[in-house]
Amino acid sequence: MKQVKKAFGLLTAAALVAALAGCGSSNSGNSNTAAGSEPASGSAAPAKEKLQKISIFQSKVEISDALEALTKKYTEETGNEVEVWGAAGDDYMTQLQAKLTANQGPSIFSIGTGAPADKLKSYFYDLSNEPYVKDIAPNMALKEDGKVVGVPYGVEGFGLVYNKDLVDPKNVTELASFTKTMEELKAKGINPLSLSQEAFFLIGHILNTPFALQPDPQAFIEKLNKGEVKMADTKEFQEFGKFMDVIKADSKNPLEVKYDTQMGDFATGKTAMVHQGNWSYTMLKDFGNMDDKLGMMPFPLEGNNKIAVGVASNWVINGKASPDEIKAAEAFLNWLFTSDTGKKAIVDDFKFIPAMTNIPADNLDPLSKVVYDAAKSGQTIPWATNYYPPNIVVNDLTPVAQAYFLDKNMTGQQLLEKLDAAWAKAAK
Amino acid sequence: MNKTKDRAWFAVFTVPLLFIFTTVVIIPFIIGIFYSFVTWDGIPANPKVFVGVDNYIQIFKDQRFMASAWHTVKFTVLALLSVNVLGLVFSLLVTSKLRVSNAARTMFFMPNLIGGLILGYIWQFLFTDAMEFVGDKTGLHHVFFNWLLNPQFALYAMVIVFTWQMAGYTMIIYIAGIQGIPDEMIEAAKVDGANLWQRITRIIFPLLMPAFTICLFMTLSGAFKIYDVNLSLTKGGPNNATEMFAMNIFNEIFGYGRYGLGQAKAIVFFLVVAILTLTQVAITKKREVQM
Repeated sequence: MKQVKKAFGLLTAAALVAALAGCGSSNSGNSNTAAGSEPASGSAAPAKEKLQKISIFQSKVEISDALEALTKKYTEETGNEVEVWGAAGDDYMTQLQAKLTANQGPSIFSIGTGAPADKLKSYFYDLSNEPYVKDIAPNMALKEDGKVVGVPYGVEGFGLVYNKDLVDPKNVTELASFTKTMEELKAKGINPLSLSQEAFFLIGHILNTPFALQPDPQAFIEKLNKGEVKMADTKEFQEFGKFMDVIKADSKNPLEVKYDTQMGDFATGKTAMVHQGNWSYTMLKDFGNMDDKLGMMPFPLEGNNKIAVGVASNWVINGKASPDEIKAAEAFLNWLFTSDTGKKAIVDDFKFIPAMTNIPADNLDPLSKVVYDAAKSGQTIPWATNYYPPNIVVNDLTPVAQAYFLDKNMTGQQLLEKLDAAWAKAAK
Repeated sequence: MNKTKDRAWFAVFTVPLLFIFTTVVIIPFIIGIFYSFVTWDGIPANPKVFVGVDNYIQIFKDQRFMASAWHTVKFTVLALLSVNVLGLVFSLLVTSKLRVSNAARTMFFMPNLIGGLILGYIWQFLFTDAMEFVGDKTGLHHVFFNWLLNPQFALYAMVIVFTWQMAGYTMIIYIAGIQGIPDEMIEAAKVDGANLWQRITRIIFPLLMPAFTICLFMTLSGAFKIYDVNLSLTKGGPNNATEMFAMNIFNEIFGYGRYGLGQAKAIVFFLVVAILTLTQVAITKKREVQM
């Protein structure tokens, strides 16, 4: 018995030591292979022009399977290897930052336009000389300090998504006609316009319009950050306040509406309009086919007749990677945007609305079609949302919007004053 | 010989633990103290600027942080009362000679097996959709409305969910305490003519003091540090009315990207929790009696 106990104790101790040693050695093992692989690929290069293996890390969970399938095809066609790291969803920025910080960054990664890109710009490789840059749709490339550093995933757009049976866009062109339409719909027992409780669907997207209508939205935001201008004193915003008052007065309290109920009510004809983007189509189609009834029109602030179109995410190359790795990454992106296989995958498998003029887009859903046509003709307003101070929508603007929709006596003008106060705090 | 062998065994079991504790708790904690004296946005390429105690001064000018402190205090007091009162009542119930006491024990403890996040989402549905449904059916709209949209009631909603989660757990500890009280003592009291109330207040409660110490400590620190239920039930809304300490710190660091300021908040938070819980333990320990 004593022997057994002893043996058991020894085993436990051995296991512990092994576990500890395992922790310690995994790191050194990694660096060994990393160091070892470089000369290996270097020596192979002259013989077969095989490029170094690269890695991709990106934020869209929806496309991760398609991307992995595509990289397999890339290896078949060119012989070069690509590794796709598991997509991370909401946690993406934190993980990306941790990897870059630890100098174990991916060769290619995705980054959101605006504040997130500014944050990590020290890592971007200059893409200005790449052949496909000329094919990026006007104003859609990711630029830092005048250089093109990122290629857009695709474009997305938002505006008022409406039910053609219930609303005629001719009757929603500025404040007066908008108000009239809202009241008529309300009288019929239909919820005229629905926002929903999620930060961007409550205030983030809809607030974009008055920003986008400024002559230079980015400059306006900078002035707002410095406190040189106020939303409450700006014409477009005052008008926006009036729109919000109409929405609050005539439609259901958005704080009681979730994204899925918003979509469900819209699909079943209980709601006539929603402030949403082309992404909502994936949800709408689950409620049955309503393609014929589906339309998207601009949010008619000050007679605005353009849809807000922008880029949610971009491909960038890690400029801190080794020259060989960068060369391989360049080759992959070039293949993705110029080869038939790559171009086809972007539209058919990733289901993106291409932001490249050399990629044809057929068979788009009705909402994406509106966005694509607008992007191609240039009849768009920008996503000023991307240039807000980081996370301001969730952190600062949403609480104000919540207070506005909860307090019946708060006016649109007061909403603007509160938004100004929140902005001043967030921007410092 | 024997002594060295003991020492060796001691080392085998404690050194790994000590090693892990040092690397994942002590060292990050010390680094954290350092970060609380700099301003930094979390990007290694950007500089960490030493600002001394500036961060600590800023904290006390931060109204949102002060507001969240007040919410946390309110929440903690309410939660402390409701969790322990309910836990105690439950434990007295299931240790009395009810036929369903075993089943009841399981039922009361069950919510604790569900994670706080999931509990929050379940209750979110109850407080929004189910409450409104009941309100529409009964016409009692002043009680049955969407609680999560009212700043006051959203806090009460959080207390309810936290109680739901923790009362069963404290019940288990109280049961252990009650079962540790010898039957003879209760019998003797009965023979001496003590009624139920006297038995509870004069015999059971004093002998339960160790259980009180543990339960109060656990609910106090648990309520102070609450994050998961907060996140899933209200996300701090409406209008930040239910933003607790931990959520405020998380938002400061990961929402606003102000690592230094957030870290300073975290240090203050640590001190507050440590002082409060240590005081509580000291007070209740003193009241513990030996049989």
